[in-house]
Amino acid sequence: MAEIAHEYLIPDGIGSEDIKDLIRDRVRFTEDPAYEVTRRFLDSFDWRLYRAHAAVEERLDAGRRRLLWRDLRADVPPLMQDIDAEPGFAWDLHEGPVRDRLEPVLGVRRLLPLSEVWSRVQPLRLLDEDDKTVVRLVLEDNRFRAPDRDREGTLAARICLVPVRGYAADLRKTARMLNQDLGLEPAGTGVLPEALAAVGRRPGDYSSKLDYHLDPDQRADAAAKEILRGLLATLEANLEGTKANLDSEFLHDLRVATRRTRSALTQIKGVFAPDLVENYKTRFAWVQQITGPVRDLDVYLLDFDGYQACLPAPLQPGLDPLQEFLQAHYEDTHQTLAHALESAKFRDLLTSWRGFLETPVPERSAIRNAMRPTKEVADARIWSMYRRVRKAGRAIALNSPAPELHELRKHCKKLRYLLEFFGSLYPKPQVGTLVKVLKGLLNNLGKFQDLAVQANYLRETARRMHAAGSAETDTLLAMGSLVGDLFNRQRQARVEFSGRFADFDSEATQAVIRDLFAPARKRGQRS
Amino acid sequence: MTVIGVYNIKGGVGKTATAINLAYLAAEEGRRTLVWDLDPQAAATYYFRVRPKVKGGSKALVRGKRALDTLIKGTDFDNLDLLPADFSFRNMDLALEDAKRPTERLSRLLTPLGEEYDYIFLDCPPSISLVSENIFRASDALLVPMIPTTLSTRTLDQLLAFLKGHDQPGEPRVMPLLTMVDHRKRLHLDLIERLPGQYPGLLDTHIPYASDVERMGVHRQPLPAYAPSSAAAMAYRALWEEIKSKL
Repeated sequence: MAEIAHEYLIPDGIGSEDIKDLIRDRVRFTEDPAYEVTRRFLDSFDWRLYRAHAAVEERLDAGRRRLLWRDLRADVPPLMQDIDAEPGFAWDLHEGPVRDRLEPVLGVRRLLPLSEVWSRVQPLRLLDEDDKTVVRLVLEDNRFRAPDRDREGTLAARICLVPVRGYAADLRKTARMLNQDLGLEPAGTGVLPEALAAVGRRPGDYSSKLDYHLDPDQRADAAAKEILRGLLATLEANLEGTKANLDSEFLHDLRVATRRTRSALTQIKGVFAPDLVENYKTRFAWVQQITGPVRDLDVYLLDFDGYQACLPAPLQPGLDPLQEFLQAHYEDTHQTLAHALESAKFRDLLTSWRGFLETPVPERSAIRNAMRPTKEVADARIWSMYRRVRKAGRAIALNSPAPELHELRKHCKKLRYLLEFFGSLYPKPQVGTLVKVLKGLLNNLGKFQDLAVQANYLRETARRMHAAGSAETDTLLAMGSLVGDLFNRQRQARVEFSGRFADFDSEATQAVIRDLFAPARKRGQRS
Repeated sequence: MTVIGVYNIKGGVGKTATAINLAYLAAEEGRRTLVWDLDPQAAATYYFRVRPKVKGGSKALVRGKRALDTLIKGTDFDNLDLLPADFSFRNMDLALEDAKRPTERLSRLLTPLGEEYDYIFLDCPPSISLVSENIFRASDALLVPMIPTTLSTRTLDQLLAFLKGHDQPGEPRVMPLLTMVDHRKRLHLDLIERLPGQYPGLLDTHIPYASDVERMGVHRQPLPAYAPSSAAAMAYRALWEEIKSKL
């Protein structure tokens, strides 16, 4: 299948036959049999393919079902592979060129249909005096449909020009004929982007990354509401995917939005009434708690091959019953979560929360920071949180107990979120560097804590499996070995901590932080 | 990229038909396929309705003045391209003699196409020459179509002796096959019986003599494109399956 070189829109009211007559007056062509094709435009919920400059399409024609991968930056024909079922996860596809490209980009996400185009296609071949095809023309009547079928309609008919290799002059001549003689308008985009717009989608319209554009002089309570509205939008965007368990990232993003909501509530201090903060803090803590068990299972099941691989080969099969055990509990655990997310308690939370966030801030507020400029409040909060992180970090020695590192991690997370909420108030490169250094430290602390949590979860699961009679000796031994391995890796993370903290506590980082956030009297000083 | 040379010292044995029908079948499976028409008679080029003209002729081509990919023409079929012949190819030997490492020239010219094509079929001119030596070097497999006659087996012996005399690494796998088999002819039947014992590499599938194949020149298309269910088209399909299994 050669790539389309040019596409033109056929104006309303002109049918395929009219176009064919107009072309027939000018060049010799033959018609190949007409056919129907359905094309589904696919991407992950967070547009991973689009962000990687690729487009994936499922194509059904003449009883054939194929998946096509297009590289949007290179002028090369698409990669294709036959499929026999609805495409979802990369790992469920058969080996093939499209799967090879998809797997690293898509990761754990599922391909979802974004729009569908149904076309009646009439191929024409323009011939030279030897009856050799020198250019292909494809007439398309197109209809679109949204994946949930709630929107459908007609798209503009198109005529596409497909080059035949080695006949560039004929291609140019034909393009001139369509454009200049017939006055057809070149189509600005391909049919799939057009269909996407028709169903109300825009490439990249969802991202779990925060992207605020705050005004430094805006009142702090209004800015806080803006930040929280963004987080609520993310939370709501991931709700359906979480309930349907389309892939594990919906729940993950929902949990991150919840955690950030709680952090914004408590860390942007003194902008809302204390009892309101307390109320929502408790209610969002409940969301965090009901979503925890499925996330725990996701973490194990997604990384199961990795766990198995870190065991010595003879022990590896012993771990299979663990996978079965976790899978067997998955359905129920997810059901419980889905019920909770459909409960009146959850619905009421979102409704009242949205009501609060959408109510304009009162003209006057007696709450301490509510009416101060956002930048002032942000400076103070970030500076104070930074000093807490620094103090806690510097206090950690090689023999410090684990809870101290856990506390430090919490402070670091709060600092990171503050930097992300208010990032738009500061120069981008500096904030970017700070977030990066902080991420390095957080990864280390996260590893330290998560590995211990995982090891303890495994010990607990081993007890439950043993009690339920679903763990043979081999399984318990394999799990024991895995627990040992996790603790070893945790020790390793502990050793690496001081290096990571030193990066964060470097002169350079300190200087950047001081210049950006310190009270005026301290800026430019050495610490 | 797999390069399949279709070669025989003798002419008129069905080389071009074999090359383009197999290439068509490979392309039909979605494999990116190229036919290079090296024969100045330009039969493959004619079948694909392309003008037999290569800018600069064999001299420019052999010297690498023109990258092969600028000379390629798309055929009327998806995934199937042609590198057309030119009348100057009759003098390709002379051009090759002037080149450095004259027996490796074609192989080097083909290398950049490796990314673009899964299969390249070389439709070779008859005779044994420097061009043929290049073809032996460049090919992963050498298909040798032959009519079941005594004279054919003689030329196959000549070819095998030649290849043995020029023993070198990367020598192609030789796959003789019987074409234009007429089941009414006693001699053909006898040879079909006898030859497998004599030539262990001989392919099991043979192509029957059929007027459908001869009409390729009228249709100017590969046989499976205009007579997909004819006996000969079926034979080419079986042949392609057998070749793939042996590659």
